[in-house]
Amino acid sequence: MAHAPKKTKPAAKAAKNGARPQQTRLWLMYPPKLITRPIIWELGHKFAVSTNVRQASVTDEIGIVCLELDGEREQIKAAIAWLEKLGVNVEPVEINVIES
Amino acid sequence: MEKHEGFMKALKCRECGREYPLAATHVCEFDFGPLEVAYDYDRIKKSLTRAAIEKRPQTMWRYRELLPIAGEPTVGFQVGFTPLVKADRLAKRLGIRELWIKNDTVNYPTLSFKDRVVSVALSRARELGFKVVACASTGNLANSVAANAAAAGLKSFVFIPSDLEQGKVINSLVYGANVIGIKGHYDEVNRLCAEIAGKFGWAFVNVNMRPYYAEGSKSMGFEIVEQLGWRAPQHTVVPMASGSLLTKIHKSYQEFMKLGIIPESRYHVHGAQATGCSPISVAQKAGLDFFKPVKPNTIAKSLAIGTPADGFYALKVMKETGAVAEDVSDDELREGIKLLAEYEGIFAETAGGVTVGVAKKLIASGRIPADDSVVLCITGNGLKTLDAVVGHTGRAREIKPSLREFEALINAEGELSAAI
Ligand SMILES: Cc1ncc(COP(=O)(O)O)c(C=O)c1O
Ligand SMILES: [Zn+2]
Repeated sequence: MAHAPKKTKPAAKAAKNGARPQQTRLWLMYPPKLITRPIIWELGHKFAVSTNVRQASVTDEIGIVCLELDGEREQIKAAIAWLEKLGVNVEPVEINVIES
Repeated sequence: MEKHEGFMKALKCRECGREYPLAATHVCEFDFGPLEVAYDYDRIKKSLTRAAIEKRPQTMWRYRELLPIAGEPTVGFQVGFTPLVKADRLAKRLGIRELWIKNDTVNYPTLSFKDRVVSVALSRARELGFKVVACASTGNLANSVAANAAAAGLKSFVFIPSDLEQGKVINSLVYGANVIGIKGHYDEVNRLCAEIAGKFGWAFVNVNMRPYYAEGSKSMGFEIVEQLGWRAPQHTVVPMASGSLLTKIHKSYQEFMKLGIIPESRYHVHGAQATGCSPISVAQKAGLDFFKPVKPNTIAKSLAIGTPADGFYALKVMKETGAVAEDVSDDELREGIKLLAEYEGIFAETAGGVTVGVAKKLIASGRIPADDSVVLCITGNGLKTLDAVVGHTGRAREIKPSLREFEALINAEGELSAAI
């Protein structure tokens, strides 16, 4: 199964709470005004998640990053909400799952 | 002994080329690139010839060597081989020498091209031992999964945004599908569906089955080539949501050429979108090789994907085939629906209106030269999107049950008397 966690490297906090860690794979797409900001670094410090960039392409038009997040589900959800509030487009690795 | 996998060789990453076993998996572990089915073309060449194809039943399965199942199909035997209609009246109206309509408004059983992809996904799901199939959809895909699963005796789950119109929900519920409405913003619902797909051991047709599922669209291209008398059309106009259909039409022409079934020829595969959701078309027109996500705002709901998964590959195909993309407004797509209905007697859903509207623009601007030949992929039935044209057609005249009143009406309206 594609999403089944492989090697889980739980973030410290998640392990302490005994909460189940999970792995989430996302595509982030961000507008030019955010390209200069170290978003992934900030994310790793604000939330108890470990970040792993698997692919990235940044031009002066758009930033596209494929990111693997490990952590507790609630932390991952909070991290996604934070990204969306910044104006980052957050898609699952499959991108559009809902079709017509 | 090696497992029999028909004419398939492996799943292959479109980014790095790494190979994976032919399982229910869809993403490269290394770079998260999408996986695609790779075939043994040398073996296919020995069994797939024009003569062999012509002897087989008239369904999409007559090209089965190029479809990703190991054995014989078990779901959707009757799908495909829809009419290719020579549209002389519409050709004249649009100012083009030769025009054909590939009419998937009458595809079996749920009246859209999605029956092609779904029957492949479900046949493969059965081979892999799945008992439950699922999808996340706002319309055509849900209907097709529900119907084809019912006919095959598979259990189905259909995930939808909770605010979906009643009519579209009934079209899945009637087949006994388990329909789950999810409340929330589109992006949130989309991510949850991805999570559910990963968590349950189901065949999620457009997620873990996607490499197989997407290949089903090639059958539309194979049929076009055969029905044209074994040639690739100079121009094909294809509606784009995720962009997958466009890339697979291209792949179908490529495969027939590679196998020597048709001679090499130059062709263009043009993409059509609605202006209210046109990330791929905007990128193509700007000469970019990537798109920027958008928030959809169009009546063409079947094409309303703001972040298209195959957008990047669709742009590549258009570049490779010297093709273009274009988009049309909601008014223009309504006009497209009416042109197709009034000139060819084919009632298409909004995606068809987009395709006709875009073809009209490309012909008028000379990007499709007037002397060339064009095929339009019309992918879904108009009865599914009646709302789109309500209030935009002519109206019915009403009279009392009196012959005198009818005669008075005829005399009063010039258009009616001209019809006598
Ligand atoms: C009627 C119709 N036409 C065209 C498309 C476009 O398909 P794709 O996502 O392969 O670009 C869809 C997709 O949902 C559709 O429902
Ligand atoms: Zn790869």
